[in-house]
Amino acid sequence: MALYVYAITGKDHPLRLDGLTGVGSHPTPVRTVTAGPLSAVVSEISEEIRPKRRDLQTHREVLDKLMSDAAILPLQFGYFASDDQTVQQALEADVDRYLATLARLDGCAEYHVRVSQTDEDELLRQVLHDSPEARELNERIRAGEQDPQLPLALGELVAREVQGRQDSLAAGLVQALIPYAREHTTHPPSSPDFLNLSLLVAHDRTEDFLAAQASLARQIEGGVDFRLTGPLPPYSFVD
Amino acid sequence: MTMVPQSGGSVSRSGGTGGSSLYDVLELILDRGLVIDVFVRISVVGIELIKIDARIVVASVDTYLRFAEACNRLDLEAGRKEPAQLPEVVGDMMEGGARGKSKGALSGAVDAVSESLTGRSSKREEPEEEEEAEEEAAPRKRRPARRPARRERE
Repeated sequence: MALYVYAITGKDHPLRLDGLTGVGSHPTPVRTVTAGPLSAVVSEISEEIRPKRRDLQTHREVLDKLMSDAAILPLQFGYFASDDQTVQQALEADVDRYLATLARLDGCAEYHVRVSQTDEDELLRQVLHDSPEARELNERIRAGEQDPQLPLALGELVAREVQGRQDSLAAGLVQALIPYAREHTTHPPSSPDFLNLSLLVAHDRTEDFLAAQASLARQIEGGVDFRLTGPLPPYSFVD
Repeated sequence: MTMVPQSGGSVSRSGGTGGSSLYDVLELILDRGLVIDVFVRISVVGIELIKIDARIVVASVDTYLRFAEACNRLDLEAGRKEPAQLPEVVGDMMEGGARGKSKGALSGAVDAVSESLTGRSSKREEPEEEEEAEEEAAPRKRRPARRPARRERE
């Protein structure tokens, strides 16, 4: 028996989970362990938890339900403790820090933005259109010139151009969106994404934020995909 | 909850767990969030490849040749859309009066192209119910990515 831990909350969190049960193949009720002003949201597990889709989804559902009532500090997926006492000790060891973080995140949600290049050909056409040098290299190769340096030169030029345009677009999007956020963070994107941005948006700015990002998304073309996920628990802002 | 209209810019917005894929939140669930050292973490070996492209990929000969090849087979007459530029948009946003210069909307051709380019279905392939949640078979590296990690607080 062990306790899988989902999140830390204030002790007065109503914990309205609509009967949601926890992770594992024999799910048990989600409950709390309280220590002073804090609670940890847990459920009992009787087996080794693996990172399977079902359990990832459950973890996420518990957090999404919790966040709608009050601020929470979501844990990374996959943490468990041996018993209630261990959990209480962990809460007591860092009480001030957790309370401060809950206060900092109060009234906010995370929105996560990914931008990727879905139509690479379109981007390449733009690059060739705008760069006489690239055009010339391309035409010479197409005309049958065998010099192996030509494709290398063309490729390097194009790579630089693609990078520059994507960096520029990413920077522009960040600048346009961060005025709506209390905090933001970027992470290295994974190809084919070229922007991985998280924003901490207060509830009273949400409508303006969503209108702004919708407006931006409408104006971005050139084969670029803009994906917004949210509102989310503040995964990216808990430390 | 404000509804975000679908647009030519291919916006997808997903709220909570409703219909949204696990894909975009997988990194958040696994890599972000609180870490409590005295607790034990289950093994997530195997899905740590979420960060497959996080390391800096130095522009390489392979990448250059791939771009050159892509240019070579381009149909340059296939119709150029407006470039994805942002300076005007940012300017408008700053003035608080973005009117939205709506360019012609794109068709669903974007999805078809993305499938062939990225080698994966636009329906994100999600892990099977009982299988390990793996990142999709490594998306082919499409471009050299030099991206510093930046964490910023206001």
